[in-house]
Amino acid sequence: MTPQVKSLQDIRRLAGAELSLKARLGYVALLLMSTGMTVVIASLWLTETFLPLRAQLAFGVICLIGVSWATLAVWALSRRRPLFARDRVIAGGMAVTFTSVFVAGALTGAVIANNPAAYGALASGAVMLAIAIRVFVGARRRFTELAGRRAALEAG
Amino acid sequence: MTQLPAISADSRTDELLAIRCQLGEREAFDALIARWHEPVWRYLRRLTGSDDAAGDLTQDTWLRVLRGIASLREPASLRPWLFGIARRVAMDRLRRQYVRAADTDAVLDDIPAPEADATLESDLATLESKLETLPLRERETLALFYLRELSIEQIAALLAVPAGTVKSRLFRARQLLRNQFTGANP
Repeated sequence: MTPQVKSLQDIRRLAGAELSLKARLGYVALLLMSTGMTVVIASLWLTETFLPLRAQLAFGVICLIGVSWATLAVWALSRRRPLFARDRVIAGGMAVTFTSVFVAGALTGAVIANNPAAYGALASGAVMLAIAIRVFVGARRRFTELAGRRAALEAG
Repeated sequence: MTQLPAISADSRTDELLAIRCQLGEREAFDALIARWHEPVWRYLRRLTGSDDAAGDLTQDTWLRVLRGIASLREPASLRPWLFGIARRVAMDRLRRQYVRAADTDAVLDDIPAPEADATLESDLATLESKLETLPLRERETLALFYLRELSIEQIAALLAVPAGTVKSRLFRARQLLRNQFTGANP
């Protein structure tokens, strides 16, 4: 086996691991879940007035963990597993779906239970939904641009 | 000997490949690797003079390419972008190896040129073997200009030197190469 051929086989194995869609979308799911969890816990923490110190500490630690996971996901998606145009559309769709469910849940909690924490989660969820929609629309636009350029090049 | 893709490379094909990769098509990555792996390996082999080092650096280069192509702003500039990454990867390694050297120029001057291989059969192979006897900077410039078909401006951007420097390196490289073929002293 020549050095080039061996190197080519190594690169193909490397590409197989690097281009795993499952890993990319896993980080997107991690980002969404950790952000959602952090928002819920932070809403409870900030709106419950008579929490014992132990509970406040526990909420703080959980929020810290959530932020850490979200940071890890953002770092991985920007440095290690960047999303391609098609992945971004899928990730944008996941984000819109997740945040819509989140907002619906918070809205239900706010209307039925009139819970202050639900209002906090609702406000945060609305911001998250707006960001998700913006990301999704941007991803669709970018995908359309690239697909158009591809079609033009293929047409010659 | 394998025909180098760069010689017949079509920038439209490169742009199309880059765009398909940016879209996230797995087959496009396979095609990109199949098209450019050997030229990148040869380029790094020429810079380092070692098969093993070229293999390691090629792997690092492709890792950066796979992670960076999504944010490539000008897909039409795939070729200089790709070789720019390969060069940075090689320079990073050289800097680590020669960490005490004062600057990159000193590092490049320290690298011995590999011996020519007189047993190669084709004209292109002979040319490549002669190229390997040139000093690293001239060898790299000549290889990028003729074998990879980059323009003087693209090479200048890639090497971060003025276009005039690229021209003077090309001039010197041609002279050295001519001397190699004619047997004249430099």
